[in-house]
Amino acid sequence: MENLGYLLAAYTVIWAVIFGYVLFMQRKQRGLQRQIKRLQESVYKSEIDDK
Amino acid sequence: MNKVFTKILAIFWKDILAEFRTKEIVTSVLVFALLVLVIFSFAFGTRADAMELVAPGILWTALTFGGVLGFNRVFIMEKENSRLEGLMLCPVDRAVIYWGKLAGSFTFILAVAVVITPIFLVLLNLPLFLPRLALIIVLATLGFAAVGTLFSAVAINTRARDIMLPILFLPIAVPVIVAAVKATALVIAGRPWGDMLVWLQIIIVFDIIYLVIATLVFEFVVEE
Amino acid sequence: MKGKHVLRDNVLLGLGLALMIAALYMVFVYVPTEKHTGIVQRIFYFHVPLAWSSFLAFFVTFIFSILYLWKRATKWDTIAHASAEVGVVFTTLVLITGPIWAKPVWGVWWTWDARLTTSLVLWLTYIAYLLVRSYVTEPARGARFGAVIGIVGFIDVPIVFLTVNLWRTQHPTTIIFEGGLTTPMLMTLLVCVAAFTVLYVLLTIQSANLKSVEADIKQLKSTQAE
Repeated sequence: MENLGYLLAAYTVIWAVIFGYVLFMQRKQRGLQRQIKRLQESVYKSEIDDK
Repeated sequence: MNKVFTKILAIFWKDILAEFRTKEIVTSVLVFALLVLVIFSFAFGTRADAMELVAPGILWTALTFGGVLGFNRVFIMEKENSRLEGLMLCPVDRAVIYWGKLAGSFTFILAVAVVITPIFLVLLNLPLFLPRLALIIVLATLGFAAVGTLFSAVAINTRARDIMLPILFLPIAVPVIVAAVKATALVIAGRPWGDMLVWLQIIIVFDIIYLVIATLVFEFVVEE
Repeated sequence: MKGKHVLRDNVLLGLGLALMIAALYMVFVYVPTEKHTGIVQRIFYFHVPLAWSSFLAFFVTFIFSILYLWKRATKWDTIAHASAEVGVVFTTLVLITGPIWAKPVWGVWWTWDARLTTSLVLWLTYIAYLLVRSYVTEPARGARFGAVIGIVGFIDVPIVFLTVNLWRTQHPTTIIFEGGLTTPMLMTLLVCVAAFTVLYVLLTIQSANLKSVEADIKQLKSTQAE
């Protein structure tokens, strides 16, 4: 069971990086959704202003 | 065919003349390469036995980084004076622009190499007459210029243009650098032609492949 | 856009999950410990699929870069960009797990062997790809530049590999890659390759969707500013 530490390290890094990337994408997506909301609001506002 | 060659020559000659006036590229690259040479010689010590091992690396580090500095300048005049648009208005195949600029950048770096190499050989007490080294330098510089000219056109249109060129250029140039260093080491050690041949072949193949590829894709880089 | 491919995405997700669980089982329970190198050798079952998937990712970028320059449809470029991004993530893992495996087995963190070195050059090349795309302001130009680098960079791969291979055989190292694979090892490896390929596809689709929405928003904002 020698070198178990290395094995653990390798698999931990793999999962950490992959999950990190997924989280990174999720955070970007939330940011984009916020921007969509803001755009929708401003479109809504300008529609009201036009009327 | 003749027209194409004339146009390439025209672009090349314009760059040569401009360089003759200002001597900007060649002097700065020369001084920089010289500095790299000297600093690396200090960094690796001047012991005679170690010198044969590290000498090729020192030479090619100087030429590589000097080259990067030089390639950064290839399109700088066009970019700053908006001359690229003027050049683009001419009904020429975009590849002609590439070959014209390539001829210029190749010549400048080769000129620097011609000056640097004897200094290098003297500083490190190596034999001076090495015609095979000249061949290596010509072929490798051609490979550098092929990639450097293409990436220079890319880098100059990005935000961090000075740092973008080395980041793009160096990984791609790895095969040339490895092969050139190995071949140079063999030449300095006085080994026969046959030993060196395979490394030369790598550089030649690299040159051909990248000259062709760059000719094909250059138009996509400069199109508006 | 996400609505269009709900079935495809869910099937992929289910398949990926199933394969990954199967892979984990095979790596940690099924396959016997390798005699020479011991338990650390199990890193191999994820290290190699990561390498192959990253190679696939950059190949996809290469193909779609050519497609983009030819057809100029943005979707090709989006896939090329996303694939390169995932490829860099996977290559990063290759470069981390490689040394973690090498140290206990061969005593050194890094060997300049052809495969690992080519991965390093690939990593640097496609990081440059991502940097260029982020440093260019107009999206169309960024796409074109990316395509050029995606093509030029990939063509370098065989040249780098052969050169470094030649370079290293001149200095015979103590590194000899282990001989044959027993059948259980091969089965495990294949399942892992399948699992990581599906993971690559999932991540690339996700990344491409994100980039597509990003581009749409950017366009909306610019037309709104007018």
